[in-house]
Amino acid sequence: MSSTPNTPSTAPPPPAPPPKDTFTVSFDGKAIEVPKNVNLIDAAKLAGVDIPHFCYHPRLSVVGQCRMCLVEIEGMPKIQAACTVPLKDGLSVKTTTEKVRSARAATMEFLLINHPLDCPICDQAGECALQDNSFGYGNQLSRFDETKRQYPTFDRTMIGPHVVADMTRCIQCTRCIRFTQEIAGTSELTFLDRGGRTLVWTHDGQPLANDWSGCAADVCPVGALTTREFRFRSRVWYLQKTPSVCPGCNVGCNVSIESKDGVVYRFLPRLNPPVNDYWLCDYGRFLSEPLNDRDVLKATVREGSAVRETTVPAAVDRIAREIRSTLGGKGPGAAFFLGSAHLSNEENFLLRKIADHVGSSNRDAIVDRSRPRRIKSKTVWVEGDHAGANFRGAKDMGLFPGAGGHGLDAVLAGKASPEVIVIADAAFSAIADDPEKVAALRRARFLAVAARNANALTRAADVVLPAASLAEKEGTFTNVQGRVQKFDRAFLPKPPIRAAWEHLLLLALALGFGDRSWTPHDLLRQIAAEVPDYAGIKEEELEGGRLLKKGDFAWAGRP
Amino acid sequence: MEKVLTARIGKKDSRSIDTYLADGGYAGVKRVLTGGMTPEQVIEEVKKANVRGRGGAGFSAGVKWSFLPKDTKGKPIYLLCNADESEPGTFKDRLLMENDPHQLIEGMILASYAIKCRNAYIYIRGEFYDGARILDKALEEAHAKGYLGEKILGSGFSLDITVHRGAGAYICGEETGLIESIEGKRGQPRIKPPFPAVSGAFAAPTIVNNVETLCCVKHVIDRGAEWFLKIGRNEKNAGPKLYCISGHVNRPGVYEAAMGLPLKDLIFGADYAQGMKGGKKIKAVIPGGASAPMLTAADIDDCPLDFDGVAAKGSMLGSAAIVVINEDACIVDVAKNLSKFFSHESCGQCTPCREGTPWLYKVLTRIEAGEGRMEDIDLLSRICNQMANGMTICVFADAAIAPPLSSVTKFRAEYEHHVTHKRCMVGARAGELVTA
Amino acid sequence: MEAGEARKFPPEALARIEKILARYPTRQAALLPVLWVAQETWGWISKEAGEEVARVLGLPPSNVDGVLTFYTMYNLRPVGKHLLQVCTSISCHLNGAESLLERCGKRLGIGLEETTKDGKFTLVEVECIAGCDRAPSMMVNDQYFEPMDAGKLDALLDRLSREA
Repeated sequence: MSSTPNTPSTAPPPPAPPPKDTFTVSFDGKAIEVPKNVNLIDAAKLAGVDIPHFCYHPRLSVVGQCRMCLVEIEGMPKIQAACTVPLKDGLSVKTTTEKVRSARAATMEFLLINHPLDCPICDQAGECALQDNSFGYGNQLSRFDETKRQYPTFDRTMIGPHVVADMTRCIQCTRCIRFTQEIAGTSELTFLDRGGRTLVWTHDGQPLANDWSGCAADVCPVGALTTREFRFRSRVWYLQKTPSVCPGCNVGCNVSIESKDGVVYRFLPRLNPPVNDYWLCDYGRFLSEPLNDRDVLKATVREGSAVRETTVPAAVDRIAREIRSTLGGKGPGAAFFLGSAHLSNEENFLLRKIADHVGSSNRDAIVDRSRPRRIKSKTVWVEGDHAGANFRGAKDMGLFPGAGGHGLDAVLAGKASPEVIVIADAAFSAIADDPEKVAALRRARFLAVAARNANALTRAADVVLPAASLAEKEGTFTNVQGRVQKFDRAFLPKPPIRAAWEHLLLLALALGFGDRSWTPHDLLRQIAAEVPDYAGIKEEELEGGRLLKKGDFAWAGRP
Repeated sequence: MEKVLTARIGKKDSRSIDTYLADGGYAGVKRVLTGGMTPEQVIEEVKKANVRGRGGAGFSAGVKWSFLPKDTKGKPIYLLCNADESEPGTFKDRLLMENDPHQLIEGMILASYAIKCRNAYIYIRGEFYDGARILDKALEEAHAKGYLGEKILGSGFSLDITVHRGAGAYICGEETGLIESIEGKRGQPRIKPPFPAVSGAFAAPTIVNNVETLCCVKHVIDRGAEWFLKIGRNEKNAGPKLYCISGHVNRPGVYEAAMGLPLKDLIFGADYAQGMKGGKKIKAVIPGGASAPMLTAADIDDCPLDFDGVAAKGSMLGSAAIVVINEDACIVDVAKNLSKFFSHESCGQCTPCREGTPWLYKVLTRIEAGEGRMEDIDLLSRICNQMANGMTICVFADAAIAPPLSSVTKFRAEYEHHVTHKRCMVGARAGELVTA
Repeated sequence: MEAGEARKFPPEALARIEKILARYPTRQAALLPVLWVAQETWGWISKEAGEEVARVLGLPPSNVDGVLTFYTMYNLRPVGKHLLQVCTSISCHLNGAESLLERCGKRLGIGLEETTKDGKFTLVEVECIAGCDRAPSMMVNDQYFEPMDAGKLDALLDRLSREA
């Protein structure tokens, strides 16, 4: 023991260190601090160490079944499934020992002995955990010389309206089962039988038909569950990933637009824990397909009963002339500007600025109500019931009647009769296909719309501008939570198609304000400067704040 | 040694509570519950007696009980009697339950009292229809006479025991598989930790004990730990033990002896199996149920049948199910039969066992049928070695690899014969049906 | 009862089920015992019987399916009057189980998992039923018949065939 000095020390004892809110965990000798409540597999990720796994998913219960994540833990004689090891201070994990290497190779061998050689025809190829882990950790040669077990009557079969099952590929990880039990709460899926004949299936007569069934295909690490809508359509490595936001409702789930050569092939959910977490509902997921629909290819102008194609600048000029001449004669109250819950904040903002510029208080935006939709954000539901993504944003941008002005209701009820109506999105509501409502709008002397698809409104309009889809523009939406979310452009629209903001910018310029160089990024800066609730918003801080390269962000299906 | 566990078997009306009481039954319960011993004292006595689990694991029951938390945070404590007896070669619990049900019930009452359990269950395999009926009747009798129910014998201790029938799954003999099954689910074993004593059935502290173990508890309380410890080879392997012997012996059956009965005595002893049928020679012995590594005829010398004795021979006592295989049997065929069992009984949840057990069966089938290659013999060992030692959630895989691994090691010549000669070394198939 | 027929537990069965439920802390835990009640009521557990069990216990039907198919003793198809369960695990295997099984099949003219045309016998192979010291061991419905030999088997099948 140390000898103590005869005189007592006059210095006070050092203060006790504050309790840590992290654990010190070391991976292969390298120590890092990790939050206390993460799984060891995720802690490893923070240290840049990959622990391969199949059954573990950050949002599903831990089952420790696949046995791929086996590691050595100092102080424990046998290898352990990393996902089942409770985190504690001082934990020391080894992932590069021979024991670990051979355990991983063993698990891979066991998984592959009964796995069909389907890669050439399997949609999962390129985003398949079995392929990746086999390449990274498996043996090259197979020692299996027996008949493989198959489930022929459960292959190439619909297990639900959207999900195709090829159960011979299944590795029995139970992610899909746990998804239906713990996230969807619908419990359609179960294990049947046992041992080597274990099969995942549904109760006869109760298919996998919950609102988020596509997520079961997302969590499936192999091609046992895939979506019918995407089947055989493209190899995934050709697809460009663009961060975007689902247009389906005001929940604003984050999606990845997966496209190639100007065609959208699918949506995948994009991880955003406080909104949609890892998930995406089927309704939203399969709105990817309609993004490819378009029958308005050119700007058109009505002359009498004939409709003539024209250029976009010429069409915009015509709109500007009509606005100027009418307002010159009748005053600003004779114009009405209608935005949309399907348009971005930047587009709705610019429309409102145009209304401001011409002095019209008649501006509005409406949204149809839909059946309630919801998505699981960790353990709570985020709910919305708008049939459009950005009603909140449209209102925030000022698309409601000003003092003395009127809105859409008044026009439809015949209480207001604007002479000029500009509708920035012809698909703003089901109203646009209702002959009675369209007739009310048609009472205006001049009716101009921007549209992607023809409907009763476009057929009644004087000027139709060809509009871009969500995939062909960038901008922001504000969701039900009041969260401003950015979406990026997957590909440029084919000329003469332009985004609504481009049409509106041309209109603004024709009406005498704005700058040719403006982009949605500039418009967002203006929004931040002018709209009180949006003060201080910086684009770099929003989701998908930059145009990301393929695979550069968290793909929700494979955490 | 005087019979302890099987003392009442064969007696007239051995099942009835009246004869049980007349034989001094439930005296231990009476003494303990009317102030004789505290629960902690009962645990100490059982611990002191070193009653090692007779279900297969050989873990000290008293030590297991002491893992229960002092503060269960309001959760009840469960005692689950493991009467799932499904290990091939084992039939002792069936004998105990069908013939002396009250012995088990008394053991359960004492154990429940010790661990403060209010609701206990007997998980009995579905095939034991008679056993379940007999236990139900005995439980009714015990209840009627006040040994079960509220405030037993005027004490503060209340207990109900429910017979819960399984439905055909060997894996439900694994303690967490049993717990999952009692909870009404597929019997898929759980990850440990947490251990059942901390979080088991219904997330509550749970003790799972084998039938024979609980019967031993009754006798330890009746006659004391000192008495128990004197029976057997040493204090680490003490107490009366039931041995099941079957296979090619003259008198298969359940035999009770002091722990550590020499294997040779069990096979050849006049009081025991009385030697080999037809005077045949022994080829192999499985000492502890299908999960135990095989022994050769040479190994059976100097093999005391207790936990340490069999372990010293590189095998395990397990459920004390001794299966004797004669010289006419084909070891490859035996291994194939055992691998079929394990591939049928694998629960299927984890990769190495789900895929490995059928693979072993397929390779063994091929070798046995004369379609094997020399590489297949080492392949068997390699498959086995990558299924065990932490690769799986539970030790079913470690059990499943015992027959192929041990037989390839000890009887390689038979495997090689199947490969090179494409037929069995002994020519005949194992066991003809007796036509007499 | 036929496949495809809707099932409702009769009152006696429901009364038994209530008693069972009282012994477990959760409804899920009563699933195995209630499945036994269903099997005792209808002889086998059809899709509709499983749905009735699910309804009574408030469980998803898939949950019931998962348990039903995990355990071997719940009959998922109708079985004959006499369910012949022949053990073929190691001790019985060493003592003629395969021959016993073969003899059964030959005499009845059925293979494994099959039922005789008159609906009297279904033949299945089972794993160790703890009759090893009386090998070869078999069960018929809930009764053990052990040890068996060719003569005893023939006599048993004759007797059972003669039953109404």
